[in-house]
Parts: sequence; C-alpha cells; structure tokens
Amino acid sequence: MKVTIGKSIAGVAALALIGTVALTQAWAHGPTRQKVRESIEINAPQAKVWAAIGNFQDMSWLPPVTKTEGAKGNEIGATRTLTLTGGATVEEELYKYEPDMLSYSYRITKVDVKVLPVTNYSSTLTVSPAPDGKAKLEWAGAFYRGFPNNDPPPELNDEAAVKAVSGLYKAGLEALKKKIESGS
Amino acid sequence: MRALVLAALAASLCSVASGSASAEEAFVTNQLSDDLMVVDLATARIVATIPIGGKPAGIAVSADGRFAYVTSPDAKAVTVVDAAARHVVGRVEVGGGPLGIAIAPDGRTVYVADWYAAAVRVIDAASRSVTASIAVGASPSGLVVTPDGKLLLSADRDDDSVSVVDTTTRQRKAIIKVGTRPFGVTIDAEGKRAYTANVGSNDVSVIDLGAGSEIARVPVGMRPYAVALTQGRGFVTDQYGGTVSVFDLATLKPVKRINVGDYPEGIAATADGKRVIVACWESNTLSIIDATGLKVIGEVKTGDGPRAFGAFLRKTE
Repeated sequence: MKVTIGKSIAGVAALALIGTVALTQAWAHGPTRQKVRESIEINAPQAKVWAAIGNFQDMSWLPPVTKTEGAKGNEIGATRTLTLTGGATVEEELYKYEPDMLSYSYRITKVDVKVLPVTNYSSTLTVSPAPDGKAKLEWAGAFYRGFPNNDPPPELNDEAAVKAVSGLYKAGLEALKKKIESGS
Repeated sequence: MRALVLAALAASLCSVASGSASAEEAFVTNQLSDDLMVVDLATARIVATIPIGGKPAGIAVSADGRFAYVTSPDAKAVTVVDAAARHVVGRVEVGGGPLGIAIAPDGRTVYVADWYAAAVRVIDAASRSVTASIAVGASPSGLVVTPDGKLLLSADRDDDSVSVVDTTTRQRKAIIKVGTRPFGVTIDAEGKRAYTANVGSNDVSVIDLGAGSEIARVPVGMRPYAVALTQGRGFVTDQYGGTVSVFDLATLKPVKRINVGDYPEGIAATADGKRVIVACWESNTLSIIDATGLKVIGEVKTGDGPRAFGAFLRKTE
C-alpha cells in the first residue's frame, strides 16, 4: 500500500504527460503558506555531505531526478532544469548560496501541480554538526498549495501540498544518507 | 509642598513609562497554529494566546486600542477581539478570502480585502456586519486609511497598482501604477506619501498622494512583504532575503540590510518610534530592531507561522 514519494511522483509525472498539462500561474497563490522541515543524521563529516549536495547543477541524489541541466553554476540566479522519471521537468533558480554556512536556497520557477502540488515554492538545504562527528542535513521548504484560488479540491489543498513535500524530503534525505554511508 | 513633590514624582513616573515601550503590545497572528498571540513589548513576554481558527493572517488594532480585528481566509470571516480582555467578542462572515484589513481612524468602519475578488468589504464596527462592497483591482492585499480618514488605499497585487478610494462615496477615484505585485501598503503620519512593498520587482514604490503618482522606486531585498516608517527611514521585510532593508525617506537611498529571522513578514514601528517589530514566519520569532542603532536587540518566540499582516501594535495607555 505504501509507496515512496519518489515512485508516486514519477507515477504522477507519467500521468501528467498523457493528460492535459495545466501549468500553475506563476504568482497567484492560496492564503496560507505552508512549511515543511525534515532532517537526517548522516555518519560522515560535514564536508562530505556538503560535497554531495553543494553543487546546484547536480541533483542526482534525489530519487526521481534523472537529469540536471542548468546554467551559471552556483552563482546567485543560477538556473537548473530537473528531469524526473517519466519525463516531467521542474525549473529552479538559486537565490542564496552560503558555502561558509554549508547552506543554499532556491525556488521553483516552473512546475506542473500534477508533478508537485505546490506554488511559490522555495527551499533551503543546510548541513550542520551532529553528535559523534556526524553531520545533520536539514531540508526546509516554504510553499503554497497547488490550487491558487478559493475552495481547493482535495488533491491540491494545503494538506496535499505538505504531504507531497514532506514525503519528497524524507525520501531524498534517506537516499542521500544511504548513498554517502555506503560510500558510493 | 507635598503636593508639588507628589506631582513631580508622578510626572517622572509618567515620563519613564512613556519613554519605554512598556505601554505597547504586539498582536501577532500565528497562521499555522491558528491563534492570536499578545506580546508585552516592555518585558518581551507572551501575555495571552487567543484561539482564532481559519488560518488567521491579517490584523488591525483600533487606534483607541479597544479592538483587534483578525482576518481568517480559510474561515471566510473576521474575528473581533476585545483587546484588553483578550477574548473574542464577535465574528463577521465576509465570504471570499479575507486577507488585508484596516480600520478608519475613528474606529467606526473596518475595511477587508477579498484576495480572490477585486473587492474590499466594508464592515460597520457597531453592528459588526458587512454594509457595502468597494470595487478595486485584482487580488487586493494590503489596505491602509489616510490619517484624516478620507482615503482608503488598496494594494491590488495582481494589477500592479494601488486603488485610491474615497471613503465617503466608497468609489475608486484613482489607480496608481506601482512596481510588480504590491503587497503591503503604508502611509506616513502626515498622509502625504504611501509606500508599497513589491513582491515581484523586489523594490518599494514611493507614492506622492497629492500628485496621485509613483515618484520613486527603492531597491530592497528579495520578495518584500511590508513597510514600516520611523526615524526618517523606511524598514522593509524581505521574505526570501531574511533581512529588513532600511532606506532613507528623504533621499530614498538604501541605508542597510539587517539580518532578522527567516521569512520576515509583518512589520511595524512602536509608537515612540524607537523600535521596529518584525514577525518572522519561518523561524517563529518576533525580531525587535533598535530603529536608531539599526540592529536586532531582542527576539521573542511565537506560535507557528506568525504573519502579523497589518497594524498589529496596540498602545495600552
């Protein structure tokens, strides 16, 4: 019954390709911004975790991402397009990059709500120290629900948005932990 | 002689009281925890938490400090709170998506922006009912009334403009083009200039109300939300920047960016002009800024997702 968000996202993305693709309006949004904050402890030095996520032009550590293409490296304003399993794409832009703090923030500039049911999404990845020489990786997101108008349908309401992002973060963090700790 | 001494003592006590921020409270809408929190600014302590529901966002405290009006977009309602007693005394069903809110200086009329309709609903404060509707631009967000009560300004976010409404006729009399996606709007104490925080163009539009036009744009941080004015400066919350941008109101030049909590939103200056209070949505804090020293001098933990969008400070004396 339980499927990982990586699989379910890929599934939804595939559906979106067959169905009509309704792109979200770039600016309109619901009245209540949602937040999700997930973190994981990784048995590795902070520098190693940062090395795995610190390149904005490579999001291969996130399960449904099959390709990252972009421009301007890790500069403020750098862009990337993620291609997901099934072919859907997500366009993103880097707006804060603080290597000294082992942290950066980016926003989604274009995504189909059928792929990720959110609008006006921004998120921050931060590596910090954890006990016993381990590292903590935190992923925090701020976003509005997928439906920009009043009285949203259930699949595009606040709860659906939080559930999708939370699931994505957990899957991403676990996959990264596994990748780093297995030494691959 | 004794009377004189007492009078002098009373006067000095009085000046101590008014010289500090002891006579002021912040009424903060915690949107994700669905309540209204009252913070005593002198002690930086939470003195009350009032359940509201419906994801409260906008707030307006009446000039006489008696009432706080809170918008709940999910409940499609405005909640009326007795500010001193700290309890809900009324609820007005307004429909749509109530967000921005402002009160006329005389406290008799409350204006509520409907985020989903190009309209501002007019609430009669005495009867606590909607008595009229004013047509404005798309996605009205921030609202503010001029100090003389004659004009209502509405930041019409999706029209990139500000509606100027005659509060007597309740008709829009002018549309002023501003930057991209204006959200919060603030008027100075003299009623001469207005300032909008433009979420889309990362700047503040300066409006000359006499001329009825935008006279300048000041660059600020990313995704500005609202503007506060004090000590001859404008203070602007930059949501994505995690900063408050400060600019000079005379030269309209940037002065400084102050690091605050994450996703700063609602912002207001205290009545004595000495401090600026900022609600930080992501970090669940109020940052307290020294308005002259331009640095953070205090922090208060809030509930989840504080927005405090509007006139959220209350004078208690």
